[in-house]
Amino acid sequence: MTLAIETIGLGKRYGTTWALQDCSIQVPQGRVSALVGPNGAGKTTLLRLLVGLSRPTSGQAEILGLAPGPSEEFLSRIGYLAQEVPLYKRLSADDHLAIGAHVNRSWDASGARERLAALRVPSDRPIATLSGGQRAQVALGLALAKRPQILLLDEPVAALDPLARREFLVSLSEAVAEGELSVVLSSHLLHDLERVCDHVILLASSRTQICDDIDAVLASHRMLLGPRRTVSDTGRGFDVIKATHTANQTRLLVRLNGPVLDPAWEVSEVALEEIVLAYMGMDEPVSAGPLTSVRTAS
Amino acid sequence: MNFLVWRLHRNQVYWAAAALAALAVLLIVTGTTMANDYHAFFATCGATQSCSDAGSVLFRGDGAIIDLVNATLVVPLLFGLFWAAPLLAKEYEEGTQNLAWTQGVTRRPWLNANVMWVFVAAVVWAGALTVLVSWWRSPENALSPRFNAFDIQGIVPVAYAVFAVALGLAVGSVFRRVLPAIATTLGVFFAVRIVTAVYLRPHFMTAVSKTLPFGFSTRGAPAGAWILSGGLVGPNGHYYGDRLGLDQVPAACRIGAFGGKGVTPTCLGAHGFHQQITFQPASRFWAFQGIEAAIFVALAIALVAFAYRMVLRRDA
Repeated sequence: MTLAIETIGLGKRYGTTWALQDCSIQVPQGRVSALVGPNGAGKTTLLRLLVGLSRPTSGQAEILGLAPGPSEEFLSRIGYLAQEVPLYKRLSADDHLAIGAHVNRSWDASGARERLAALRVPSDRPIATLSGGQRAQVALGLALAKRPQILLLDEPVAALDPLARREFLVSLSEAVAEGELSVVLSSHLLHDLERVCDHVILLASSRTQICDDIDAVLASHRMLLGPRRTVSDTGRGFDVIKATHTANQTRLLVRLNGPVLDPAWEVSEVALEEIVLAYMGMDEPVSAGPLTSVRTAS
Repeated sequence: MNFLVWRLHRNQVYWAAAALAALAVLLIVTGTTMANDYHAFFATCGATQSCSDAGSVLFRGDGAIIDLVNATLVVPLLFGLFWAAPLLAKEYEEGTQNLAWTQGVTRRPWLNANVMWVFVAAVVWAGALTVLVSWWRSPENALSPRFNAFDIQGIVPVAYAVFAVALGLAVGSVFRRVLPAIATTLGVFFAVRIVTAVYLRPHFMTAVSKTLPFGFSTRGAPAGAWILSGGLVGPNGHYYGDRLGLDQVPAACRIGAFGGKGVTPTCLGAHGFHQQITFQPASRFWAFQGIEAAIFVALAIALVAFAYRMVLRRDA
């Protein structure tokens, strides 16, 4: 089965600064993927490269087997919602839907109208008069009306209040449940996305740190608690992501390579958010390559 | 694609159409009156007054209209400032290119439609305007050199409009912000227009020189010619330009106390001075219109090509 997203050594440089470097990820279809990372980690850059709005400096990307670029074949498969929720301020949602019908091969205007009506978003008023949450709903509606196979959303909930945030994610979940849709949602807060996502891509220091199903990430990371010792003599069986020491204790967040044999460690499970924060705090990637395991679709 | 352009810009189209209609009514009413006055005057002038006073009977009470017609000089620039410069710059500034360019059509047809319609609008508007103004000015064109109002009639207003639009698009594609795009369009448009009108236009074709008997006037010049320069030529063939130093005036021609300021023209003429003018004949009006229009259209083509490059090759 074709991967939803595959990138190999993808990089983007602006002037002398690499906004994204050496990004190699594989995301199977049907995942709802959380793209997380601190501000400036390259989330927006990655998404813009994936939808063809900008061109990579190095490496390559494929979405559903197609290179992002100016082709209708490619554009008809993607739905994209940019960070600033771009809409024409003086036009109404109805106007946008009418325009969309003219610039897309397939267009589900009635579905989008029903969704907006259900959310009581006035579709005949200029966008400028709508609230942030309503705008986000309109923009999501437009992206979904394309009937995309993959939907890429750049920080869609960042500017929303908690209620609008929840409504947005519910709308998204419903859309995912309705059809075969792959989704990538970016946020600098994992907490926003954990409820709806089953896959996580972590970018930190402009590089990919994790790209895996959330279950697999949880299964492969543990917190170790034991008597104080230096990290270098802890032996194999895991890679240390984060180490904290108190006067007589050492606490390690590790990625497992095998069983933890040393009985001195007290092993416990870790929450995803804690894992993600540990990676974000690192200056260098754990290993040369990103951590990727692709499970074949069942 | 055309629907998108129409839906986004139809209000501009309505306003532009309304403004053009209002201007057309104004010019047609006053122009008809003026043409009637003009013909009536020539039907009777020989009997009551000199026909060379035609200018004094025309345009009576129409000062504001004359100013308005002269002000149409800036209309092509307005298309550049308010239609073309924001066209791309506003998309980038508000981020809506991210919406437009991730729909089911690629950037090129999107750009084609936008560029085509802004040019169509500017050409139609400027074309209608220049037809109106050229017609309105026809009595005056018959009386004074058409070259005096070169920039507001004929085909050049359309070429200026095309240039202004191309400039606005190109600048907008570079700055990606509305205000800098408008300001730059304004500055560059004025610079190019002034350089062309002042420094290039007089030399589009080799000017004609003509020697006239001395008379302190250019009345001897061919009707409707665009006089570029006039000056004095002495008996020895020396060209003095338009100023003759007192010491160069033959003593016999000086009048007043202490050889004062006055000089009698007839005396200078008798001493072998004559006047030389260089000019572009009235018959070259359309050739000049063609050359000037070609320059601006060529610049416009280069600018549009540049704007395409910026939009299609650069990251959104």
